[in-house]
Amino acid sequence: MENAWLIPLFPLVSFLFLLLFGKKLKEASAFVGILLTLASLVYSILVLIERFSESTFKAEAVWLTIGNLELTAGFEVNQLNALMLVIVSLVSFLVHTYSKGYMHGDERFPVFYAYLGLFTFAMLGLVISPNLLQTYIFWELVGVGSFLLIGFYFYKESAKAAAKKAFIMTRIGDVGLLIGMILLFWQTGSFEYDEIFAAVEEGAISGTMITLTAILIFIGAVGKSGQFPLHTWLPDAMEGPTPVSALIHAATMVAAGVYLVASLFPLFNASETAMLTVAIIGAFTAIFAATIGLVQTDIKRVLAFSTVSQLGYMMLALGSAGYVAGVFHLMTHAFFKALLFLAAGSVIHAVHTQDIEKMGGLWKRLSFTGPLFLIGTLAISGVPLFSGFFSKDEILIAAWANGNYPLFWLAVIAAFFTAFYMFRLFFMIFSGEARSEMKNVHESPSVMTMPMVVLAVLAVVAGYVNTPWFGTFLGDWLVEGNEALGHGHIEGPGWIMIVATVVSLLGILLAWMMYSKKSISRDWLSSRAPLAYGIVKNKYYIDEIYNQSIVFGAKAISLFLRFIEVFLVEGLVKLTTAAVQGLGKTGAKIQNGQVQTYGTIAFVGLAVLIVIYALTGGYL
Amino acid sequence: MDFNYFLTLLVFSPLLGIGLLAFMPKANESGIKMLGVLATLPSLILALIAYFSYRGGHDLANFSEKFRWIQFGGQGAEQSGMFSVNYELGIDGFGLIMVVLTAVIATLAAIASFHIKKEWKGYYMLFLLLEIGMLGVFTSQNLILFFLFFEITLIPMFFLIGKWGYYEKEKAAYSFLIYNGLGSAILLIVIMVLFSRTGTSNIEMLSVMMNTDNAPLFAPVSESLKMGLLIALLVAFGVKLPIFPLHSWMLRVHVEAPPSIVMIHSGILLKIGAFGLIRFGMGIFPEQFAELAGLLAVLGVINLLYGAFLAFIQTDFKMVLAYSSISHMGIVLIGLGALNEAGIQGAIFQVVSHGLISALLFFLVGVLYERTHTTTLANLGGMAKGMPLASGFLLAGAMASLGLPGMSGFVSEFMAFLGLFEEMPVLAAVGTIGIIMTAVYLLRAVLAITYGNAEREFAGVTDIRSFEWAPVLVLIGLIVLIGVYPAVLSEPLQATLETILMGIGG
Amino acid sequence: MSSVPVSAYLALALILFCIGLYGALTKKNTVIVLISIELMLNAVNINLVTFSKYGVNPSITGQVFALFSIAVAAAEVAVGLAILISLYRNRRTVNIDEMNQLKN
Repeated sequence: MENAWLIPLFPLVSFLFLLLFGKKLKEASAFVGILLTLASLVYSILVLIERFSESTFKAEAVWLTIGNLELTAGFEVNQLNALMLVIVSLVSFLVHTYSKGYMHGDERFPVFYAYLGLFTFAMLGLVISPNLLQTYIFWELVGVGSFLLIGFYFYKESAKAAAKKAFIMTRIGDVGLLIGMILLFWQTGSFEYDEIFAAVEEGAISGTMITLTAILIFIGAVGKSGQFPLHTWLPDAMEGPTPVSALIHAATMVAAGVYLVASLFPLFNASETAMLTVAIIGAFTAIFAATIGLVQTDIKRVLAFSTVSQLGYMMLALGSAGYVAGVFHLMTHAFFKALLFLAAGSVIHAVHTQDIEKMGGLWKRLSFTGPLFLIGTLAISGVPLFSGFFSKDEILIAAWANGNYPLFWLAVIAAFFTAFYMFRLFFMIFSGEARSEMKNVHESPSVMTMPMVVLAVLAVVAGYVNTPWFGTFLGDWLVEGNEALGHGHIEGPGWIMIVATVVSLLGILLAWMMYSKKSISRDWLSSRAPLAYGIVKNKYYIDEIYNQSIVFGAKAISLFLRFIEVFLVEGLVKLTTAAVQGLGKTGAKIQNGQVQTYGTIAFVGLAVLIVIYALTGGYL
Repeated sequence: MDFNYFLTLLVFSPLLGIGLLAFMPKANESGIKMLGVLATLPSLILALIAYFSYRGGHDLANFSEKFRWIQFGGQGAEQSGMFSVNYELGIDGFGLIMVVLTAVIATLAAIASFHIKKEWKGYYMLFLLLEIGMLGVFTSQNLILFFLFFEITLIPMFFLIGKWGYYEKEKAAYSFLIYNGLGSAILLIVIMVLFSRTGTSNIEMLSVMMNTDNAPLFAPVSESLKMGLLIALLVAFGVKLPIFPLHSWMLRVHVEAPPSIVMIHSGILLKIGAFGLIRFGMGIFPEQFAELAGLLAVLGVINLLYGAFLAFIQTDFKMVLAYSSISHMGIVLIGLGALNEAGIQGAIFQVVSHGLISALLFFLVGVLYERTHTTTLANLGGMAKGMPLASGFLLAGAMASLGLPGMSGFVSEFMAFLGLFEEMPVLAAVGTIGIIMTAVYLLRAVLAITYGNAEREFAGVTDIRSFEWAPVLVLIGLIVLIGVYPAVLSEPLQATLETILMGIGG
Repeated sequence: MSSVPVSAYLALALILFCIGLYGALTKKNTVIVLISIELMLNAVNINLVTFSKYGVNPSITGQVFALFSIAVAAAEVAVGLAILISLYRNRRTVNIDEMNQLKN
């Protein structure tokens, strides 16, 4: 555990190495990336196992001195960090492997792997940060990795726009985090998590300050985790290659916001307002994104909105004091969502389109990807015995136990929607007949399917580490030795589980009837409420609203400032030059060669001087 | 090691190059260019020796030199003291950093000057003269000497812009000269007032005399006069920095001067403003400076936002970078306005960091212009196809500029805001809009150049080649080094910071 | 004997000087301008003599200086008139407005 700092360094080495030698290695660079992330993965697992028996380890060194202030950098291995290390390095390793098949033939293959290395480095660095400053540093680096990968197909205008949007939207959130972090620093005198928590516990910070900083930091999490109202970048981020979507925009980076709130949980927990804000934003995002997901026709966008929605769930859990539930769902979601994205990538790889309207009947032709996709879909829909079922159940219980009944019901409805749109997606891709001509449909190579198998296994079994039936190992372990995080397991009424099961099954049934059996017309609802359909279809016009308000506003301010620049600043300059020129011209006019004029001026000047001398009393 | 005459040697070593260049035949292009670059090396090597011997434990005071130069007065019975102007060179931690920065950027800009198309001989001679001026500014311990070196930088700059620039070069050169001439005139007034009232122009003695009661002055300096002098200094260096609304000259210079000169200009000459404010403003008038701190912070935020918003709507990449310089100099002001350790250190970091970053960006502008003959955003696009390396470095430069952690821009921005949040949280919160806007305008501009569809006419452009590697790699390396291991800067600065803060009383 | 006060002498000198100044600055005829300049010189002479008699330290120096001044004025008028005549020969005018060679 003392050497856990090595874990992020492996991918960094991969990044630098591929940057320098990638051109020569060509597609062999995949092996560099895969091997080095494998090293990270193995090491992470070792650290996790070690962490089961030992206590938290933390090591730091001074990074920057500012007079008497010493800012430190280092690493910390606590339960959450150790768990995240494994999740991140595992998904990253699988995605590295998968990409070898998916990116095959791309001329910038080594660059892709270099970027993946950079991102993995940043993400691993983020999860072992012992203080807020370091978290922020890696937080930004993660954003850059994401930016580079979204814009990987740089020649596409849409990719360019999406990359820019992702960077800027998350940066808006980051500024919130930065402000919150600095305010906390001046309140507590430290960026260290444990010292901040100690200060919160002692009551060294006023209540309003806690609320303010917590909400500011939450803004950072909102930006990164694609929560409403900063969610619009995440669906657009699907412009990146699909393995990237699996790694960054499903399993790891977008979970960073949730991770941040989880690692600052004691701070949030100290302020009811902050907790309520987190819960409300989470629940609202969950249902809001789910409704959009109902009508999208791009396979990756549906998954993107479902990611937004699931992240909302996690936020709801954390906001409802369900620390364990949030982290648990973060873990299971990482597995099944990565699986879904990789499977979607496999589908796209086979049919070369992302439009589900053009797919259909692929069950037989993609005999391997189909079942894997189904496992992911079942898991996310919360069908009993799959991992998503247990974690979602935990969240619902946490929301109920915390007394947020309206939010609880919102979450239940969102669960219904989730089941519906995920199976809508599944049926539209795999069942029925092909809706467009598709040639050369072939199953993906094993280098792509094997990672999916691993994830599929995890998507099924990962839930059993924390179940009400067989014991709550994960929960108990996570909160061990830290009362501030709440209980390892929150007791809730038994009917919640039944309700959750029923709604997810209902959603599946409805999707089956509409899209597979076709006993209900697909247009049944959209033809009855075209207005609502249009609004949802256009994602509530949020992008348009932003364009009209914020982008327009910024432009307006800029133009206004240009007005000032041109007329006021330049005007002043022109005025000055005009005044000087005018003076010069007057002077030249006086210089007319007439002795009498010269004399007059000399005399007047003398008189003025005398007057000044008299008035100032000889001071000058 | 004996450091006698070390600084004199350091400052005047480019003279050797000027002398040799004078004997070069005019037509020998490659010879002149080689000699021009070589001539910048002695001062670079000496600067690095100074830095490393300092890190190795040498006291910077060993470098000081002092010779009697001009003396007058003192004969009359009623005048107890003498007016004396000495030739005094010396460096502290801040000066050392600036000297190293100057030497590095001068060498790199000399390499970048290979792109210059005509009259290399005159160009390099003026260039080396400019370097002498800059090195002298950062090492002189004497106001009058400082002023002389300050003026030495103006004249070569005027010709370098006016002769080797682009279309409106003459206009740019004149507005450079007029603004900076006015600035120096005001500076001269301040220097003369101080000199006539104290009889000394040594910076250290002045800051002692101004801040001790009953110092033996020739004539008293009242509090309001001090304030007036400080405001005059603020204007004089505000032109240089530049502070809104005194900035319009530097936009023209950025756009019209050749990129290698803009590297120097934006990298170092603008920094003289910050250097002067810290050295003289804070050093000589600490109490008055503390009173003005709020104003400075407000000006800083205005600069930051004004530059950022205007950069957002520019159509020419050079203009974007010019406004971005204004915006980034706002961060220097913010740090100074915060008036605490974090803020001042942030300001100094920003000075160095922006020097490196803007040098990098303008070097790349030069590379780009050499191949495409345009810097208009609308005409460019998809350059990542034809020149992936240059595009990558451009993106890296933009990332550094917008304050990406792991690069120098972040450290300085972070510290400046850390400082300001302690003193004026609301103002600082307004300033953070600038952080967002920086990302917006830089990405907008850089992505417009590198991403998107490749224009057909740029299909055959060559990527970074031969000599162009040196500046890019050195600059990126330094930017990352400072970003990852900021102690390379912060350690030399500690002593300087303590002196400044003692004066302020914080 | 000294029933005339100092201020009267000074007032006379002042009036004389002002008339002279006015004439020198406004008259168009160069001869008149020269005469006006003489008036001013004489105003100065009056002052010199006055102060030599009634000043703080009365002495003969003032009167001697006035004599000098008269002599110099005479020389000056001689030179001035000579220049004027040669100008008149060249340009056939004594109008001062046309004498702006200083400008060229």
